[in-house]
Amino acid sequence: MAREKAIEVTVNGITHRKTVSVRTSLADFLRDHLYLTGTHIGCEHGVCGACTVSVNGKAVRSCLMLAVQADAKQITTIEGLRDENGEWNEMQKAFFENFALQCGYCTPGFLTSAIELLRENPDPSEAEIREYLSGNICRCSGYQAIIDAVQAAAAATRAQRQA
Amino acid sequence: MTGMRISNEKSVGTSVLPDEARPLLDGEARFLNDISFPGMYHVAFLRSQYAHARLRNVDVGKARELPGVIKVLTGADLFGKVDPFRSMPNRFSGGESVQHWLAVEKVRFCGEAICAVVAEDRATAEDAIELIEVDYDPLPVITDAREGEKDGSPLVHDTCPNNYLIRRDYKRGPVDEAFETAHLTVKRSFSIGRKQALCLEGRGCVAAFRKDGFELSVWMSHQLPYVVRHYLAKHLGMAETEIRVVAPQTGGGFGQKASIYPEEFVCTYLARMLRRPVKWVEDRFENMVASTHAREQDIEVELALDKDGRILALRSDVWVDVGAYSTYLWSAGMEPLQTGGLMPGPYKVPAFQYSTRGVATNKTPVGPYRAVGRPSASASLELLLNEAARKLGMDAAEIRMRNMIRQEDMPYRNANNLVHDNVGYMPCLQMALSKASYDALRAEQGKPSPNGKLRGIGVACFAELTGLGTSTAVGPGTLLQPGRDAVTLRLETSGVLTIAAALPSQGQRIATAMRQVAADETGIALEDISCLTNDTGMAPYGFGTFASRTAVFGSGAVIQAATELRRRILALAAFLLDEPEDRLAIVNSVVQTVDRSKTLTLRDMAEHSFFSAKDIPMELNQGFEVTAFYDPKHGSFAAGAHVVVVDVDPDTGAVEIVRYVAAEDVGRLINPAVVEGQIIGGIAQGVGEALLEELIYDEQGQPRTVTLADYLVPSALEVPRIELHHANTPSGALGGFKGCGEGSIIGALGGIACAVSDALAQRGGDIHEFPATPERVLRGLGVDFGDD
Ligand code: FES
Ligand code: FES
Repeated sequence: MAREKAIEVTVNGITHRKTVSVRTSLADFLRDHLYLTGTHIGCEHGVCGACTVSVNGKAVRSCLMLAVQADAKQITTIEGLRDENGEWNEMQKAFFENFALQCGYCTPGFLTSAIELLRENPDPSEAEIREYLSGNICRCSGYQAIIDAVQAAAAATRAQRQA
Repeated sequence: MTGMRISNEKSVGTSVLPDEARPLLDGEARFLNDISFPGMYHVAFLRSQYAHARLRNVDVGKARELPGVIKVLTGADLFGKVDPFRSMPNRFSGGESVQHWLAVEKVRFCGEAICAVVAEDRATAEDAIELIEVDYDPLPVITDAREGEKDGSPLVHDTCPNNYLIRRDYKRGPVDEAFETAHLTVKRSFSIGRKQALCLEGRGCVAAFRKDGFELSVWMSHQLPYVVRHYLAKHLGMAETEIRVVAPQTGGGFGQKASIYPEEFVCTYLARMLRRPVKWVEDRFENMVASTHAREQDIEVELALDKDGRILALRSDVWVDVGAYSTYLWSAGMEPLQTGGLMPGPYKVPAFQYSTRGVATNKTPVGPYRAVGRPSASASLELLLNEAARKLGMDAAEIRMRNMIRQEDMPYRNANNLVHDNVGYMPCLQMALSKASYDALRAEQGKPSPNGKLRGIGVACFAELTGLGTSTAVGPGTLLQPGRDAVTLRLETSGVLTIAAALPSQGQRIATAMRQVAADETGIALEDISCLTNDTGMAPYGFGTFASRTAVFGSGAVIQAATELRRRILALAAFLLDEPEDRLAIVNSVVQTVDRSKTLTLRDMAEHSFFSAKDIPMELNQGFEVTAFYDPKHGSFAAGAHVVVVDVDPDTGAVEIVRYVAAEDVGRLINPAVVEGQIIGGIAQGVGEALLEELIYDEQGQPRTVTLADYLVPSALEVPRIELHHANTPSGALGGFKGCGEGSIIGALGGIACAVSDALAQRGGDIHEFPATPERVLRGLGVDFGDD
């Protein structure tokens, strides 16, 4: 079996051609090969959610996915969340304004999961947000400010749509 | 005071948005693992598979031959070249432990580092680890404090009889008489499991050597850069001036990153030896076995009370399983001494006795973690107060009120010799009870439950000594008294202000808080102030961030430095504007006369005084850089009262927190939203401590909880919405500030424990062991698991 493979991955709109070892995880690929260190590793076990990135529009734990599995896929990391005008998206804004991060190590994963939640459910209740984000661990915040931020982002996004 | 302060009065007390959070939201913050250098080597550690064994032979031959391996370092290689870690002395009995950076002769816990491998990349280093052959000679294992202290038990250290790393026996006041003559005596056992801080980012360091400038530059995920620098110099035999320590963006600390560990020190040694940058980043397994643990206590506590429920005496016995070594810097005394000595909390205790022990076992060392020792001290007493109240036919809130240190009693010296002042225990309790509608909760509890669940209500009150100055030690009676920190304020030549301090943040928004205080004290606009908190190469001396101290020390030092800086600015401005100083004020970075007829921007003044100072008298141009130390001498008590409502499922043993009301006194607030985040985050960790988190070992001392799949931390589903209220009393420290990082976890363990116990009491049950896992809850209801 080949130990290395050539892949073509589009990350935050830029297409990269790289040769990677078949045992390289997507998380390590993003961090060590593309220098996108905004994706964080908290357990390498699929439990903490810190490494969550969006792959073809779905939230994925990048520690559990191999780089070679990302071949030909579209990936968005935290570095790619700003909109085309270079402004923060509603979720980034809401996290900032609601003090939803302390150490910020969990933040990239929460942003990705929360953005996906609002795509599926634009008006989630507090219970639905808690349920949806229960696969992401935050050790600092006690979650309350994160929940408030997601609700604020949902409200802002709905208001924008109506406008 | 020189000049009038009419500007920016409102910065302290407002929830200023924290600029330092911005890079974190863009993925551009630089954590330890994000730092790399060309030519950097990577380090991995071989760790002991045995809890206690003699090392007969360590064969690194094959590992050395693996391509890509640069160096394999063993304990023998380091022996005699660097000073091992010896336990910090204290005034009490107990033996000394010596911890080698890499094990020599013996290993004493699973996970102890034996060899370090340096390779071109981490994967190769890990492959080489697999090739090292260790010949272990297993020794008898101690995994329990109460077993370990028995005469004749195997010893973890030959230097520690009965495995005591520390033992203290304390008595003050007529304890025996009180117990003989009391109207009521109650006694109860309490135990809390072993847990850990579980920072989402583990430890790690990058150490780089070069021959010019700082010889050794170290980036370390750590809370105390200056302390690290001091001990690096001491143990490596270097001058401090040759070393720079930087704490980069840090993914949680909670005390776990406040100790000195072998791994980082090995890396600095390797960087010097190999003359190359080296990096080590802890993985989650290493974090579970080789970063400090916390708690694991057994407590027996007794109260003597009069017929009105007033405490006459408190007596306790405390056993703490402190693991294999006395954690370096803090010692094994922290948990045992604080649990024993601080048990009275906010209550008047006229006579007090305790015996407390830190017993060495073959487990990971116990170190500082949020609210060291006090959650269990508080919870054990709170549970016992409930028992006393039941026997006296008194309400749980009432017995607390009767014993509380009240405003009119202050200053009040308790039998543990601590003086309570400027703290609102009663206001917190009253606010928590009224916000929770406590009487209505009790009335509702009396009605039959519609869903078959057992409802429990817990009330817990606590005292937390924060911002400890030089006259208070980190553990009662230890010789470590970290009580002075400095801040430098520097008006740059462009007129903006830099605050430099060695008070790193692990998410507490220290920079924003310091900027807010400085804005109010100097009149310089918030947006013209920046703050560096993490670099010994740039900051004045300081102990760092731990023990709910940073806001108190940093603010105090800022206030002192700002007084002098303002004096210098106004003196020069008076000369340049030809106006008397007392007609001048600094408003939004501009010096102006009261009637605003004359103005001078700080930018113009700073530039002028630096680049074209010919016309300025020398005594008016002393430079605009001021360093001030602050030592609050004594600490300030913070306080809180939590009311917790739980539903216990009698069939599954599951506990659900259905309501959580907290009232806290954390002094004058600098940034309310930040403070609330600290308090709520502390409660969340308390939910874990009370219900979920436990590190398990088997009889052979093998850790059974080494991933996040078996060590359960609370998710958004387990942490309830916290109803938080403020009942603040300003402290006696400069600015009236108190610490707020730790207290809430004390109230959380006590409050949840009391609520669960209260629920079980409805079926005649009770609970003594925590966390209150479903199994323990069911046992508390008398369910027979058929095992004894
Ligand atoms: S690092 Fe991927 S889930 Fe924790
Ligand atoms: S902010 Fe630190 S883990 Fe979430």
